[in-house]
Amino acid sequence: MKKPDGKIVLLGDMNVGKTSLLQRYMERRFSDTVSTVGGAFYLKQWRSYNISIWDTAGREQFHGLGSMYCRGATAIILTYDVNHPQSLVELEDRFLSLTDTASTDCLFAIVGNKVDLRENGAAESQEKEGCSPGLAGAGCASPKVPKQVQLEDAVALYKKILKYKMLDEKDMPAAEQMCFETSAKSGHNVDLLFETLFDMVVPMILRQRAQGPPQTVDISNYKPPKRTKSGCCA
Amino acid sequence: MEAGGDTAAPAPEDAEDLEDTRFPSEEAGNGGGVHEDLPDPRDGGLEETGSETKDQPLGMLSPLPQSEASSYTCGLWDPAASENSPTGDSESDSGGQGGDPSDEDWRSKRKHVFVLSEAGKPIYSRYGSVEALSTTMGVMTALVSFVQSAGDAIRAIYAEDHKLVFLQQGPLLLVAVSRTPQSAAQLRRELLAVHAQIVSTLTRASVARIFARKQNYDLRRLLAGSERTLDRLLDSVEWDPGALLLGAVRCVPLARPLREALGVLLRRCTAPGLALSVLAVGGQLVTAAQERTVLAECRLDPADLQLLLNWVGAPAFAAGEAWAPVCLPRFNPDGFFYAYVARLNTMPVCLLLLSTDPEAFHDMATCRRLVEDGMHTLGAMRALGEAAGFSNVPSASAPAYSVQAVGAPGLRHFLYKPLDIPEHHRQLPQFTSPELEAPYSREEERQRLSDLYHRLHARLHSTSRPLRLIYHVAEKETLLAWVTSKFELYTCLSPLVTKAGAILVVTKLLRWVKKEEDRLFIRYPPKYSTPPAAPAASADQASHNGLFTGP
Repeated sequence: MKKPDGKIVLLGDMNVGKTSLLQRYMERRFSDTVSTVGGAFYLKQWRSYNISIWDTAGREQFHGLGSMYCRGATAIILTYDVNHPQSLVELEDRFLSLTDTASTDCLFAIVGNKVDLRENGAAESQEKEGCSPGLAGAGCASPKVPKQVQLEDAVALYKKILKYKMLDEKDMPAAEQMCFETSAKSGHNVDLLFETLFDMVVPMILRQRAQGPPQTVDISNYKPPKRTKSGCCA
Repeated sequence: MEAGGDTAAPAPEDAEDLEDTRFPSEEAGNGGGVHEDLPDPRDGGLEETGSETKDQPLGMLSPLPQSEASSYTCGLWDPAASENSPTGDSESDSGGQGGDPSDEDWRSKRKHVFVLSEAGKPIYSRYGSVEALSTTMGVMTALVSFVQSAGDAIRAIYAEDHKLVFLQQGPLLLVAVSRTPQSAAQLRRELLAVHAQIVSTLTRASVARIFARKQNYDLRRLLAGSERTLDRLLDSVEWDPGALLLGAVRCVPLARPLREALGVLLRRCTAPGLALSVLAVGGQLVTAAQERTVLAECRLDPADLQLLLNWVGAPAFAAGEAWAPVCLPRFNPDGFFYAYVARLNTMPVCLLLLSTDPEAFHDMATCRRLVEDGMHTLGAMRALGEAAGFSNVPSASAPAYSVQAVGAPGLRHFLYKPLDIPEHHRQLPQFTSPELEAPYSREEERQRLSDLYHRLHARLHSTSRPLRLIYHVAEKETLLAWVTSKFELYTCLSPLVTKAGAILVVTKLLRWVKKEEDRLFIRYPPKYSTPPAAPAASADQASHNGLFTGP
């Protein structure tokens, strides 16, 4: 039986393209995916390591299991849709708290997906809106001037997250290194995203192995970091 | 006459019924005006009957003379059509095209199913976008509360060729508006299945809690993505009516020794907290094993099993190993199980493991490997692959057999549900039917056959005058439906068959089923398994998991 050595979790609002990103990377193809139910588990061989990847459902109904998917995670990919600023806001509002159960030195990557729609201009991005239910109509109000998320917004969120986790920016990879803009449709930056993460996860696996079996200790002695949600990021 | 008997003619008591169906015209006169309340123990409700024709003789398959119907008409959405406001159009983001009640295309649908909240907020519509329907849904809420204010409950409205069936379930209101020949009881059962599907993703308790807290909550937020499962469920009624109509599950035809070996395998591969293991191919059951301590008291309801079989058929489970909460509404509508779903060996064979522990994913994954290894040892993968690969329809990965296998010329299709299952297996109603072949390959043809089956079923199970045998000559086929203490059977025969010929064909079919029953049905389902050190977790304790806790 292959025991996974590291664990990566994809989080983000529904319809931002988590499953598509993973499918693009694993199967080298892009197709219409259906709404994920719960979470789906994949195993990826990277060098001599088995890295497990959890593709989770963005739907609110599955939130209860979110912390279970994140337990002991080595890296978390927070995904948003560059054409929907609300999806970036949701990351902070809804998904960040799910990461409390992740490993204490967990890596965070922030990924803006669907850049292909941004490049093609407003017309198509509005057209695509029709098939992305539930995004609370964000950006629909004035389709002529689509509000889009810039990379700087993601960088800002990354710094906020480090603060929330009470991690020192110096100990963690630089924001520029951990914020990606991708397109699962064209494949833009998708390999870069996953492979950068895998390369970062491997040394962490080695470190964890050196420390002996961490899981049991980790969970029982685990104290959630102080919630500083309100106020700190005014 | 017994299931496998040699007698060709229906027993004498059935002959009477046969007579009855042969002279329907005599009763046609009083059909239009009959006004009866269906006795229902649950809510002594009122049956709003415009032209209630429950007692409709089967022969009258053409539309009834509508004497009183016009008073009600189908004006339900006429007022809505004109005053359909454009509000919400700017963010009409779900359901896609149409939904405007004045839209011809939308109106021409044979059957609409709506789910709305007590406050009249749209939750689901089979066709069109729910936003455009808010006024129509308002009318429905008004109808319901009007009758409610009189201390009664609306159950159905019969209007010209439409039936409107209402079903209130907690804070949810379900409405079917149908032009199909389905009876109100059949439509109600369909609505119950839709409700069960909703409960299975959210639990009844959480739906109640949400609406208790915020009456005008938009439940679509939580059901987003589940609409397709509901769509598939409702589609299945039209294309493949067996499961819902007969309240039974379809089994993969499989040699008995192999099925039993797989049952033993499932029973052996256990893990702490594992409550139920199911092997399925294309929505059909191979075998299942229940864990004693978890499910001993309350046997698994076939409706729950059918729901699980539909659910694991979702395309979302096509890749990877999935882990998701699921509620079994008949078992416990307020608690979650945790389901591990995986396709074995990239085959259409699907393994479902239900656990009571939200953290048990890796235990279940280990268990799956045991099952997989065991199946390799048995060589079961190949056998199941062959069963699945038989289908003529390349797209369908569901196991099927041809009606030719029966060797009864003139027989086109049938549904057979055995009722003589050994006593202790009563809990697992099953049915079998061959693949739909020409001339039932096109959508309209399948729909027509499904309609005919529904008509016959409604007639056999009519609450006022149930029948045991119906011989019905339709325009393009001849049907014979027959229910005895041993089986319930619906056959579709060539239109040119004579009555004697039909009886001969049915006799042949019954002999064939008798001969094949070990292969077609799970005659002896596996007994309980006893996993090591099962924690005393119950489904109730799990209710806080996987749950949205507040708007």
